[in-house]
Amino acid sequence: MAIIRASNLTYTYPFAEKPAFKNVNLEIERGEFVLLTGPSGCGKTTLCRCFNGLIPHFYGGTLEGEIIVAGLKPSEHAIYEMAQHVGFVFQNPENQLFALTVEKDVAFGLENLGLPRDEIRRRVDWALKVTGIYDLKDRAPFELSGGQQQRVAIASVLAMQPEIIVLDEPTSFLDPLSAKSILEVIHRLNRELNITVILVEHRLDLAARYASRVIVMDEGQIILDEEPRKAFLEEKTKMVGVGIPKVVRLYLLLREDGINLSRVPLSPDEAAESIVEVLESDRG
Amino acid sequence: MSMLDGLRLLDGLRFRNISSPIHKIDPRAKFVYVCALFFVAILFNQIIPLLILFLSQVPLVIIARVKKEWLRLIRGSIFFAALIFAMNVISLYFYGGYPSLASIIEHSLAMTLRFIVLVESFSIFFLTTSPDIFGLSLEQMGIPYEFCFAFTTAIRFVPVLAEETQTIMDAQRARGLELESGGFIKRIRNYIPILIPLIVNAIRRSLELAEAMESRAWGASKKRTNLYALKMGGKDYCFIIISIIIILISIYVWLFIKIPSITQIMQL
Repeated sequence: MAIIRASNLTYTYPFAEKPAFKNVNLEIERGEFVLLTGPSGCGKTTLCRCFNGLIPHFYGGTLEGEIIVAGLKPSEHAIYEMAQHVGFVFQNPENQLFALTVEKDVAFGLENLGLPRDEIRRRVDWALKVTGIYDLKDRAPFELSGGQQQRVAIASVLAMQPEIIVLDEPTSFLDPLSAKSILEVIHRLNRELNITVILVEHRLDLAARYASRVIVMDEGQIILDEEPRKAFLEEKTKMVGVGIPKVVRLYLLLREDGINLSRVPLSPDEAAESIVEVLESDRG
Repeated sequence: MSMLDGLRLLDGLRFRNISSPIHKIDPRAKFVYVCALFFVAILFNQIIPLLILFLSQVPLVIIARVKKEWLRLIRGSIFFAALIFAMNVISLYFYGGYPSLASIIEHSLAMTLRFIVLVESFSIFFLTTSPDIFGLSLEQMGIPYEFCFAFTTAIRFVPVLAEETQTIMDAQRARGLELESGGFIKRIRNYIPILIPLIVNAIRRSLELAEAMESRAWGASKKRTNLYALKMGGKDYCFIIISIIIILISIYVWLFIKIPSITQIMQL
């Protein structure tokens, strides 16, 4: 059974004239790594807010249609109930860390749930180790780099052991190298812990290789829902101004020149591999 | 004093994560100690006991390894100290009935020293108590968690806001805003283009914070656990007992020993 299922979902913010998105139909299976992209203001962040109940509880407005997340209807359960199933990592790392030490921040959600102290301790240590920041546990969040802060944010939702983690442009405040390492952490959570990941991201060059599925939104509609190797070849993807990965562009250029690579590459490594393959078959 | 200096002063209050025997003392015990110091400082108005009180804190600062921050705070309070001194001299000169100018100055110095002792003991408390732990002790004293959370969050965002103020000031200066020109009223008005974006940003930030808090199960359980628990140990009780002894000794001195003033000593 799908872990997230939305049918005919339409949402309008309070005081807004037209809906942020309209008639969205979506099914996401457990363990998928969904890359959600599209131009600014296309409704992708708004859609994510429906997954943990921020919409409608926090934002108000009118939500029509049906959505079921991890077997629950977000509109009928408080945000704190949804939070135990859906972790949410925001764009700005600075504004989602409250405590004065990293350890305390990771414990925040668990403390709110009122878990016993040794259980909190165990889960905090585990989450810190999985995200590779155990050594930072006594530091203050504001002393850390943006990449480290974002790891803390991920650890703090991970500690609550959610089935789904939603990340809303988690790398937009980061340099490319930290962005890459954050995406690798997310990839590991998906592969090793089988956590369903919904990643909103513009940096497709870095993110494409990890995704099992690409969803493109534009003007409040899902215009494309494909596996990554097909999604970036579609005209529609280019039309809305999504910057397709450079290696995919390389693939297309080579194809124009009559060189067909065996598959659509999603990372420079894959591209290099395919090109070597072509060169070797030429020689042979 | 500009707004930025004010923020810098707050930055002086910022807790630094150092470990020392003083840091390890339970904040409640330290609070009792600070109260004892307050009591003694208010009890005496002669310069000699206040000086002893002032100097007796210095070893504590050195043990706590916060000398630099402490000196900065004392320096930061010089402006107010000078103000207090001047006010005392003026009012005692006109209304005091003191025999000589020397005794007026001595008494005013004592009042100034009293203020500095209060700042001193307060700063020792805040420089050696993590706001997290302080918040926790408030929580364990039965203050609702919402207030404790507001307190620690406010402290956590001081450096963030200081940085943001600097950025906004730079941005507005780059557009030709002059902060240090004109008379008093003009100077205050100069800060409006800085305050407005600062406030708008703060509101936006608080909304984002609220969203993040909600997403991390804020308010899920009425009985919230805390990762840490404070427990008073032998050391802490010792500290409280020392504080009580300080109070008793000073009451004894106050009642039975006549403290000479500097002017009297000089005359002998």
